[in-house]
Amino acid sequence: MELIPRVTFEQIRWERLEEIAAERRKGAKVIGYFCIYAPVEIVEAAGAIPVRLMRGGQAAEEAGERYLRADACSFCSACMGNFDLDPAYKQVDAVLAVNTCDMMRRLPESIENHFGIPVFQLYMPRTSEPLPHRVAEFRRQLDILAADLAGLTGRSVSDERLESEIAAFNHLRAMLRQANDTRRANSPLLSGSTTLDLTATAWLLGPVKAISLIDEVLRMVAARPRPETQRPRLMLGGSMLTEDDRWLLDLVEEKADIVTDILCTGTRWFAEDVPGGGESGNGEVGGQERVRSDGNPLDRLARFYFSRPCMHRRPNTDLHTYAEELVREFRVQGLVYKTLLYCDPWNFEARRLQEALGIPILHLDTDYSTENREQMRTRVEAFLETL
Amino acid sequence: MKAERDREIKGSRDQVPGWADPKSARVTFDQWLDLFDRVPDELIERYHYYGNGEAWSKYLFPPQTFSIYGARHLRRLKFDNSLAALRMWGFVQNETERLFRARQTGRRVIATMGDLGAVPVIVNSFPGCVAFYPDCIWWTPFVMESRVLFDAAAELGIGDATCFSRAALGAFSKHSYFPDPDLVIASTGASCDDYSGVEQLVESFAPDMLWVEEPLRGECRMSNDECRMGGASERQALIEFLKREYERVVERMEKLTGHAITEVELREGVRRANRVRNLVARLRDLAFRHAALAALEMMVVEFGNLHYYSDMGEWTAVLEHLLGTAGGRAREGERVLPEDALRVVWVTPPADPLLLTYVEDAGARVMGTEYVINQALEIMDESKPPLEAIAESFMAASLIGTSGQRAKSVIRQARERQAEGVIISGILGGSHCAMETRLISDIVKQELDLPALEFDVAPASNEIGRQLQTRIDAFLEVLRSRR
Repeated sequence: MELIPRVTFEQIRWERLEEIAAERRKGAKVIGYFCIYAPVEIVEAAGAIPVRLMRGGQAAEEAGERYLRADACSFCSACMGNFDLDPAYKQVDAVLAVNTCDMMRRLPESIENHFGIPVFQLYMPRTSEPLPHRVAEFRRQLDILAADLAGLTGRSVSDERLESEIAAFNHLRAMLRQANDTRRANSPLLSGSTTLDLTATAWLLGPVKAISLIDEVLRMVAARPRPETQRPRLMLGGSMLTEDDRWLLDLVEEKADIVTDILCTGTRWFAEDVPGGGESGNGEVGGQERVRSDGNPLDRLARFYFSRPCMHRRPNTDLHTYAEELVREFRVQGLVYKTLLYCDPWNFEARRLQEALGIPILHLDTDYSTENREQMRTRVEAFLETL
Repeated sequence: MKAERDREIKGSRDQVPGWADPKSARVTFDQWLDLFDRVPDELIERYHYYGNGEAWSKYLFPPQTFSIYGARHLRRLKFDNSLAALRMWGFVQNETERLFRARQTGRRVIATMGDLGAVPVIVNSFPGCVAFYPDCIWWTPFVMESRVLFDAAAELGIGDATCFSRAALGAFSKHSYFPDPDLVIASTGASCDDYSGVEQLVESFAPDMLWVEEPLRGECRMSNDECRMGGASERQALIEFLKREYERVVERMEKLTGHAITEVELREGVRRANRVRNLVARLRDLAFRHAALAALEMMVVEFGNLHYYSDMGEWTAVLEHLLGTAGGRAREGERVLPEDALRVVWVTPPADPLLLTYVEDAGARVMGTEYVINQALEIMDESKPPLEAIAESFMAASLIGTSGQRAKSVIRQARERQAEGVIISGILGGSHCAMETRLISDIVKQELDLPALEFDVAPASNEIGRQLQTRIDAFLEVLRSRR
């Protein structure tokens, strides 16, 4: 039985969307963003409300095909469709997009063209070696972003405000890490599905409310006895997993435990903290200090976000290392690797990642259609039988 | 007026003693063999690559030679019947051999990937170094009518639902299409995903690899107008950024070669590259305005700006020869395609060259292109420090900005040359095609009120599918009906 029924999360989020709508009526601006490279601290410091746009769904994907070709990745198509369909998307005043993969880089132009929503495209170098001029260029981009956001909200981004937001989001990251750590145990109580709900809800609520929710979840975990049964311990990986992909997690967790992930909608967002002034990086995985501290808050944010691993970075060694460390630390026995059709950065790496990790992998390459779910069930069950 | 035009169209068709081109036309593969029989031995002896007179460096061979070695698709194409074009085809088809010869003769072979035009300017400034683009292998499965390279890429993790550029990965794994490079310089960033993914997997075949960042041209910003259209300070910041990246290329090349390059050598490299780019600019003008060359040859010419088919000196001579031919034709009012052919702009190069032949046979001619290599067509400012000049020209790159900017280039050419339609060829699963094809098409239709045909190039085959033939025919019918 789930710790928190799904309906509870849905209720919390519905209420939050109502609140956001009320704040918008009073003049607040909502900034929609897609990925872990979006510096939410700056958005909050500018007085705007960051809302992560992470819905998929067959209906949205089909609606999106009015705007994009059928070989655009399903997430991009669904995103376009959701601007027509989803109440959260309809509240977005501006979009903050980061040029990660090619399709995500081009998505803002379509959003701007078709929906007239202003977009800010943040240029994040794709090359991962943190050479000074590369980090400096990203830092310059953050300056432009801060100025643009200030122009939109009428509130400038001060250092004090930024420090406060960095501290708040770091606290949120720490709480999510703590929740995630409970999955290190045998037969973890916090399922992959609930973790996805919890994380998605936390992003929507913002640090203050999210922290008390996570606190409550942690109390529930501590109070409830763990089952004796031992099930296969799995890691999730692949393209962005949206709120509409829970069916897959539920399917897997009928017979196995999802104990960790390398998803951008999962652990990669909270694996490390933005260093505070004068502090060193607080790396969760492997305890490596990846981010230098010191400097003003925008400098630190630039270095922090630049160093986030992702499959689209070149070379993507850091993500492979991250995955290897998680496999070791969470005693992972198999990888469920779900990619979206035409998602090149993740599709191309399936084979190489399997070779590097040395564990069985189930690669599911699919769109958001529901017709193939029974096929997926067969494949998942067959995979679990082999473990 | 005529004198003015003659001044503009320089070059002479009588520049090769012992040879007179037949009346300009596109000829079949078999007709080319007949024409080749007339080429005197002295001419065959005359052309060599790498600037030497050794017997092994001859390249004036007819397309039949390369067809025998596997380039079966050549049998289905139509070729320009001039000596200059024959020379060009021989030179281009000979590139694999040339790269292996480069290695055998002690040159360093550098694979440059992804940026399509900028890094080879630096590499070729180093004595004894040859740059080439494995990217251009994407034509090979089509020219060879073979899936071998795609299958090899699939074995390494890149299957069919992606760009044909995956053939480059297959070629690396085969170790047969070019020598294993001394260094791979892989550019990535605001570029296409498919190729960036190929580069990542190529890393396992490359003992020495340098990653170079291509910055995003800031054209999508909420309120900062300065940035929105690549304003002056934004542009300058990105040029400075690119300079830092190119300095790393210089450092790595110096380390590889042991040669400390001078500014004079780099300037000379820029000057020589500009020489090629200028020649190509003039050829584009002659081809697009006067139909002095056909689309197939022009695609080969334009892509020569990337890496000069691994021999800049000889490629320059080939272009000068072509310019003489095309200039002479324009001066004499000769055309390779009918004057009343339907005028189209072609967006994104077709991986299958047969498409160009087909469209021309069906009564159209290409008089504008946006082949995702704008950066290689830009003339560099020789008055500026060389790395800055290279970086500045790269800011015109097709793929580092918005689709709207690409559409503008198409619109400008279409207006300038009174195009009647736009053809956008793409690749199913090609990351940028998926997102921008429809946008470009919509913008072009809105701005110009011109019909646009979008289609995906089918996988390598020995013919164009009937369905696509019908679509092209119907499109051209629409253009004709609008006259």
